[in-house]
Amino acid sequence: MIGQPLRRREDERFLTGAARYVDDVDVPGALHAAFVRSFEAHARIRKIDAEPARRARGVVAVLTGADVADRAGRLPAGSIEDGVVADAGHPVLARDKVRYAGEAVAIVVAKSRALAEDAAELVEVDLEPLPAVVDVLAALADGAPLLHEQLGDNVLSRWSKRAGDAVGAFARAHRVVSRSFSIPRLVAAPMEPRGAVASYDADRDLVTLWTSSQDPHRPLAQLSFALGRPRDSFRIVVPDVGGAFGSKGAIPPEAVAAIVAAMELGRPVRWTEDRLENFLAAYQGRGLEADLELAVAADGELLAVRARLYADLGAYLFPTTAVPSHTTAMLMTGAYRIPAADVEVVGVATSKVPTGPYRGAGRPEAAYLVERMVDLAAHELGIDPVELRRRNLIPRDAFPYETPLGWVYDSGDYERCLDRVLELLGPEDGHARGVAMYIERCGGLWESASVEALPDGKVIVRTGSSPHGQGHETVFAQIAATELDLDPAEVEVRWGDTDETPAGVGTFASRSVAMGGSAVLEAARAVKEHWRQTGARTPFRAEVRFESPLLFAAGAYAAVVELDPATGRLTVLRVAGVDDSGTIVNPLLAEGQVLGAIVQGLGECLVEEAIHDEYGQLRTASFADYSLLTAAELPDLVTAFVETPSPHNPLGAKGIGEGGAIGTLAAIANAVAAALAPFGVRHLDPPYTEERVWRALHER
Amino acid sequence: MKPAPFEYDAPDSIEEALDLLARHGDDAKVLAGGQSLVPLLNFRLARPGRLVDINRIGDLAYVEHSDGRLKLGALTRTAALERSELVAEQWPILREAVRYAGHPQIRSRGTVGGSVAHADPAAELPTVLTALDARFTVRSLRGVRRLAADELFAGFLTTTLAPDELVVEIDLPSLPAGAGSAFVEYARVHGDFALAGAAVAVSPDRAAVVLLRAGPTPLRVADAERALVEGADEEAARLAAAAADVDGPRRALLEDVARRAIALARERTA
Repeated sequence: MIGQPLRRREDERFLTGAARYVDDVDVPGALHAAFVRSFEAHARIRKIDAEPARRARGVVAVLTGADVADRAGRLPAGSIEDGVVADAGHPVLARDKVRYAGEAVAIVVAKSRALAEDAAELVEVDLEPLPAVVDVLAALADGAPLLHEQLGDNVLSRWSKRAGDAVGAFARAHRVVSRSFSIPRLVAAPMEPRGAVASYDADRDLVTLWTSSQDPHRPLAQLSFALGRPRDSFRIVVPDVGGAFGSKGAIPPEAVAAIVAAMELGRPVRWTEDRLENFLAAYQGRGLEADLELAVAADGELLAVRARLYADLGAYLFPTTAVPSHTTAMLMTGAYRIPAADVEVVGVATSKVPTGPYRGAGRPEAAYLVERMVDLAAHELGIDPVELRRRNLIPRDAFPYETPLGWVYDSGDYERCLDRVLELLGPEDGHARGVAMYIERCGGLWESASVEALPDGKVIVRTGSSPHGQGHETVFAQIAATELDLDPAEVEVRWGDTDETPAGVGTFASRSVAMGGSAVLEAARAVKEHWRQTGARTPFRAEVRFESPLLFAAGAYAAVVELDPATGRLTVLRVAGVDDSGTIVNPLLAEGQVLGAIVQGLGECLVEEAIHDEYGQLRTASFADYSLLTAAELPDLVTAFVETPSPHNPLGAKGIGEGGAIGTLAAIANAVAAALAPFGVRHLDPPYTEERVWRALHER
Repeated sequence: MKPAPFEYDAPDSIEEALDLLARHGDDAKVLAGGQSLVPLLNFRLARPGRLVDINRIGDLAYVEHSDGRLKLGALTRTAALERSELVAEQWPILREAVRYAGHPQIRSRGTVGGSVAHADPAAELPTVLTALDARFTVRSLRGVRRLAADELFAGFLTTTLAPDELVVEIDLPSLPAGAGSAFVEYARVHGDFALAGAAVAVSPDRAAVVLLRAGPTPLRVADAERALVEGADEEAARLAAAAADVDGPRRALLEDVARRAIALARERTA
């Protein structure tokens, strides 16, 4: 059944309203939390007077930063490989200073959410405004106001690497192509916002948290750190999750505050955030300024890349905040055999909500930067952009291929992807078109799974890899059923409860099939081997921990666009996507992932931008000001897979969850640049709204 | 996003509603379809002390044809206009316009009177009703007023309604024989507020050109209407956009939608 388009078994419950999200979890006696949030982007807290709120109707407790300090510290700040990150983890509730508008300063616990919100208005927060730090380059300038005075500057992460003879390459280059880029922040906008229910059993000293998270085990580790409690003093349950797109990989500080309140009060506390809170306080995605230089020979050979990346990390570091820009940096040689690189990334503190992974998580930025540079080089050299790519792609016989920056691409056939996407795109028809390659770092680390054969012949798969919309149940059942020669209906899949499911890392980086799926496959194999030895389908349970190095999916994307110069209105006519995600276990779900990701990529191209004003206030804090595409906006989408199996796992799988969100921006950006070229405009950063395009055309 | 506390009344008759508004008008808001008011309440941007919910007043919801005029009760749902055969046959521009108003869920709840009283210059109904020379009937315990669009719409989200007044009916004349009309708008995303829109009606001796989101109220451009009657269609579009109080990109959009609406309306003349 591997390779068969089994339909999603999850869909019936999602489509009929039978799914059970965190707000549906019935915890008797639960109180409701609302948060008092900073209205300033950067300010010193002079005084918080919670007394009027404590006396308000229906209020059970109001806790400030000082009140939770005994029980909770900061969330972990995370790390990046070979780089440094500052000690700037997110506080549970602000103390002394607030560093973004929307940062929680107090939790109000009341008998209903409405009463909690009423009381939250009564908490008097006396703030002494400090200058907002909005622009990353201004934040790095001498004399810039400091978010974290003790750090001495506004740098939250730093990583750099020089590899190969970049200096020599730039010195002898026929041309050096230079360009600065700006990629705006986005919001993840999951249909279900964040939320949690915290409960505390004092007799067992056990905290139970139901949370809308991407997976249960990262919250477990983060909570253990923030609350200074051993991991076995928690039970984390992740019920059905209505989307995350990267934004639910860190436990929200609000959930930690809810736990503290539940422990203080001895009663369960529920926090279900509203859309405004999600806009203001859930971490955002992207946000990158970049200066790039590409050294090219006269024949188009790409000799070296130099990149200076300035990531807008926001006010604090969530555990993964510094990761996307590091990923961008590591991918600065893209799909090309570029022998030398000189790359530095600086993660910058700004008085805005932190950023973090959002579908693509550093790879769309990398594809955008590298692929725009390749097109700019083609333009300067007078070489066809597709031909320039062909001359420089890493050839199919070069794998495993170690990039100068140190990642080892496991498998791929990039030119086949390029050929295939050109076929899908169809013949030239006079419209502007753009082509782009992408590399997606995925997989890595480990996952575990157990497969248990029951006496009645049914099989239970328990997985540490947890879904939030992807289709784990269908695919993991498909993998186990294939190996055990069963009907998938006889395989039950369980996940999302640290008391029941085996340990796991998490669902991110397009890693679930390759890592979680391989763990399921190997556990199923162990059951099968037991059956072979016993000569019968006897009850048996096997648990496997599966590890692998990083995997590298890749692809080629292309777009055809039409521009109305009078209004600046851009119409995307067609997007073609070819993804090499290794072996495709379920082509139906895989294509669904690609299409969904392309649509998110299109939103990034056409309409999405989280805009903060000079005071650090989010100007796009509702769907009235921040648009998401609807089905009505979709162009013709055509997709195909190239399958070069990964050698690192028994399925041969790589990752499929993000490719569309990675390749689409780069392809459309190149198409837009081609459409603008006749008007003398060489480059434009997204989003390609009619206003931005009009200004590029008419205000030069 | 829960509203601040408020008192709530749900009168069964117009008279009862007017009585409540007379007593509490300064502190009260009328709740009709709630598609604008409820978000404002939930953001706590609007904090009325009292809501007067008129949804139980069945007398206020109707689509009628009498004396050659279309009469719309204030509580008529936007979707009822969209589905009305009468509207489709005789005031097709009205149907064309309201199909841009948000999404079906919004139209099934939002009301004609609510949109009028909210007076958002980015909304379709105030714009198209202005183009159709609608008359707005407003009642209070003090009496009845009948207002033209320029007598009702006073500014951004602002009308000349007194706190005790309720919009009860919107009526509009038939389009002149042989007239062509069209509504065109541009929004980045289907269902979003439009960035530019134009309602155009043209007949041999009369024309209406009204722009959406071109100023604080629906913008009727007399110069453009004269040009249109004279057959100078391109000039009409240019004049319409030139009259708008907007920046360059938005002016370009307004000219584009005006040009397209004019061309469509011209094409639809008998």
